[in-house]
Amino acid sequence: MASAVYYDDVDLGDELPSMERQVSDYEVVEFLNIARIGEAKENRFTSAEAAKSEGLPEAIVPGAMNIAIMSTLITSWSPTVTLRKLDVVFRGMVLHNRPIKLTGLITDKDIVDGSPQLECDVVMENEEGTPLVIGKATVELPVRE
Amino acid sequence: MYLDLHTHSVSSDDSRANVEQYVKWIGVLRKKGHQIDGFVLTEHRKFDFDKDYSELGSENDVLILKGSELDTDLGHFLVYGVTEQLTQQVDFSDVDMDALKLIEIAENTGAVAIPAHPGRFGIGLTEFTGNGRDFSALRAAERFNGSNRPGEQERAEEFISQLGLRGTGGSDAHLVSAIGKCMTRFDGDIGSELDLVAQLKTGRFEPVWLDDTKQEQA
Repeated sequence: MASAVYYDDVDLGDELPSMERQVSDYEVVEFLNIARIGEAKENRFTSAEAAKSEGLPEAIVPGAMNIAIMSTLITSWSPTVTLRKLDVVFRGMVLHNRPIKLTGLITDKDIVDGSPQLECDVVMENEEGTPLVIGKATVELPVRE
Repeated sequence: MYLDLHTHSVSSDDSRANVEQYVKWIGVLRKKGHQIDGFVLTEHRKFDFDKDYSELGSENDVLILKGSELDTDLGHFLVYGVTEQLTQQVDFSDVDMDALKLIEIAENTGAVAIPAHPGRFGIGLTEFTGNGRDFSALRAAERFNGSNRPGEQERAEEFISQLGLRGTGGSDAHLVSAIGKCMTRFDGDIGSELDLVAQLKTGRFEPVWLDDTKQEQA
């Protein structure tokens, strides 16, 4: 389990622990079932053929699932962290069963309305280092007593 | 002096960085020993006449200038030295404007227009070189772009070399931590958009990567 991180311990330029993973066909289907996205069983998220018929190279990971995965970069960092906002831009397609890497960097730190907050740049990139999803996370950390 | 000639703030719909945070991040880069004197905000398809960052810049010793990145029939172009006269003659929201006409109008109104990320697949100038267009009016092109994907840098280098153009550098930052990834080093001093245009016209500049500014300082 990740150790507790406090507002006092971090500074601008600090990196969050990176994550590497792949998203399997099964995980996408499970996500779609839970999120109740898509009526058809065969669609661009689940079928390579359906994706290709829409001009895509292969089946892609749903945007909402990418946001969920991005959020785990923050929430797995420390049990003390609270994710307040995650605002992302989709820049490329996230394909099934391909290595992706998630990184984060603290770019701002301030007490906002009494709340100790950080701003973090977050990036999901493919194995070539091409950013697929980029964004900004606003997170809250407790101050040491 | 070192300027990042290609950045986007939240004024562009696909950026998540605000200008104040860019300035703060430049402080972080300087503490690490990098040289960066300022940046140019090149928002997509617009020019923010109403925004004034001079006070923020002077308080933090960071030069903040404004330009624009426009969509044309030959890919994206960066425009420096934007004036009201230019915006009256060019529709910045036109995503298929005539690039060669843009270059001409820019020159006639005291501005400079150069291709952004010419090696970019889909929206870089190298995608449009096979149609017999005359690029002799080009003064320079963006040689280093911090957001290039694999293969795009090589395409840009080849294109710029073939045309014998001067090259600039810009991060194409859409996130705070991307600013300064690559920049342009100028021999002369720059304090305004007018100075920037003048320096671009002299040809005395070169693109640099952020890490190289640290080595030069050491």
